[in-house]
Amino acid sequence: MSEILQIKDVRKWFNSEGKKLLVLDGISFDVRAGEFIGIVGPSGCGKTTLLRIIAGLEKQDEGEVLLRGKPIKGPGQDRAMVFQDYALFPWRNVIGNILFGLEIRNIPKKEALEKANRFIKLVGLEGFERSYPHELSGGMRQRVALARALVCEPEILLMDEPLSALDAQTRNVMQSELVRIWSETKKTIIYVTHNIEEAVYMADRIVVLSKRPAKLLDLAEVKMERPRDRFSKEFIDLRAKIFRLIQS
Amino acid sequence: MRLERVKDFFIFFASIGLFLALWEAYYWIFVKNPFILSPPSKVLVTFVQLVIGDPKFAETGFSMPLDMLYSLYHYLYGFSIAILIGFSLGLIAGWSKKVEKFLYPVIELIRPIPPIAWIPIAILLLKLTHTAAAFIIFIGAVFPILLNTMYGVSSVEKKYVEAAMTLGATKTAILLKKVIIPASMPAFFNGLRVGSGVAWMCVVAAELFGVSQYGLGYKIQLARLYHSPDVVISYMLAIGIIGLILDRLYRGTENRLLKWRRGFVVE
Ligand SMILES: Nc1ncnc2c1ncn2[C@@H]1O[C@H](COP(=O)(O)OP(=O)(O)O)[C@@H](O)[C@H]1O
Ligand SMILES: [Mg+2]
Repeated sequence: MSEILQIKDVRKWFNSEGKKLLVLDGISFDVRAGEFIGIVGPSGCGKTTLLRIIAGLEKQDEGEVLLRGKPIKGPGQDRAMVFQDYALFPWRNVIGNILFGLEIRNIPKKEALEKANRFIKLVGLEGFERSYPHELSGGMRQRVALARALVCEPEILLMDEPLSALDAQTRNVMQSELVRIWSETKKTIIYVTHNIEEAVYMADRIVVLSKRPAKLLDLAEVKMERPRDRFSKEFIDLRAKIFRLIQS
Repeated sequence: MRLERVKDFFIFFASIGLFLALWEAYYWIFVKNPFILSPPSKVLVTFVQLVIGDPKFAETGFSMPLDMLYSLYHYLYGFSIAILIGFSLGLIAGWSKKVEKFLYPVIELIRPIPPIAWIPIAILLLKLTHTAAAFIIFIGAVFPILLNTMYGVSSVEKKYVEAAMTLGATKTAILLKKVIIPASMPAFFNGLRVGSGVAWMCVVAAELFGVSQYGLGYKIQLARLYHSPDVVISYMLAIGIIGLILDRLYRGTENRLLKWRRGFVVE
């Protein structure tokens, strides 16, 4: 497999109350095409910032981020992102939000509607197509945000804690669905979560970040066959290992 | 629920009824002169006669439907230009800090001048024409529209723009069309409603100076010269009613188009 994304010694500072706050401290890893990468780390360590740099919404201060060998200049149609706070368009209803990316790509209306409806079914929002974001619960909004990005079928999907607002039951179902979509479409997924179990369940490799300023603690390979058994010894051991690594 | 409505209805009519009764009494006790004031009973008759085009008034050129038409024409003429320019400039100035900074001094200089103060220069420049009236209306309506649009655009949350960009909308034109404009519609409508109110006031003010032989404002002035307070008040009434209808029209459109906002306040 070839590297689609290369992150080389990335450093990022923020200005915070006049002081410079180091958030990412020399992060390096490669992402292969078609790979499912999990990124875990304590909250506030810089996961979202790293994802935003890959999305092209933020620029690193040092180091390089190469997409197919070229530096990232800004957002592009080859990447779509699911935001941690959903960022649904309040003036568009559920179907309108999901159609957004398809409109941008000039997909014919009929085809776009069919596609959008397929994803609405996938995330379990049938019957809510005409509802506006303010009429939905947090979990439902999150599923709209997920469908809105998935429907674009970009080469790289960037997801920032996309299932965090769901109840445990729905979350497990959605995790399996995401793994299924990923294995069917062969897209590259970069999945940020603070839930280690989630990363171990889904990812090929897990980027383990330390607390701020984030350093790369480990790039853990998950060798288990899918679908993975959350209660197998291997699963529990890896989960514990990553947990301890972050704690130390 | 039903009882509430009956009660509201009663209060509504009691309020108006009392007002009319006081006015009627005031006339018969203190004024009793049909050349300086009319009681509501007289105004009502005159109003109806003016609306149906009674020859008694039509002969002297007082035709309420025609006057309304002319006034609405002035209103639409000036207001549509105000929308066009107010919205476009507001969009650009809200989007670009540089343009905002550039426009700001001029806006702040002109804005405090009451639209009515522009009437003499409008008449000198444009003569007694419909365009002169439209100009005054434009001056009155353009600032609320411009400033509200500008405010709406500049306060669109960054996360919506970012979300759109990561969904593939990277061109400015598309961001404007698909994010900035829809997101700033509530503020724009606010400006539209305020602007319309000012515009309607300016219609009357501009017509007072006789920019045309028809128009509600012009006829108010003319009726004063004829010492017909019943006609004056009838026209005042018409101005009020149309102003109210216009406001309701904008509110209705706003509620229909912006139903996505419902619940924002409750949350
Ligand atoms: N735009 C910003 N300006 C200043 N500080 C920021 C900004 N964005 C994030 N931070 C800070 O950077 C740190 C990392 O944030 P973030 O990447 O959101 O962490 P995580 O997603 O891992 O919870 C936090 O301390 C946060 O307060
Ligand atoms: Mg985060």
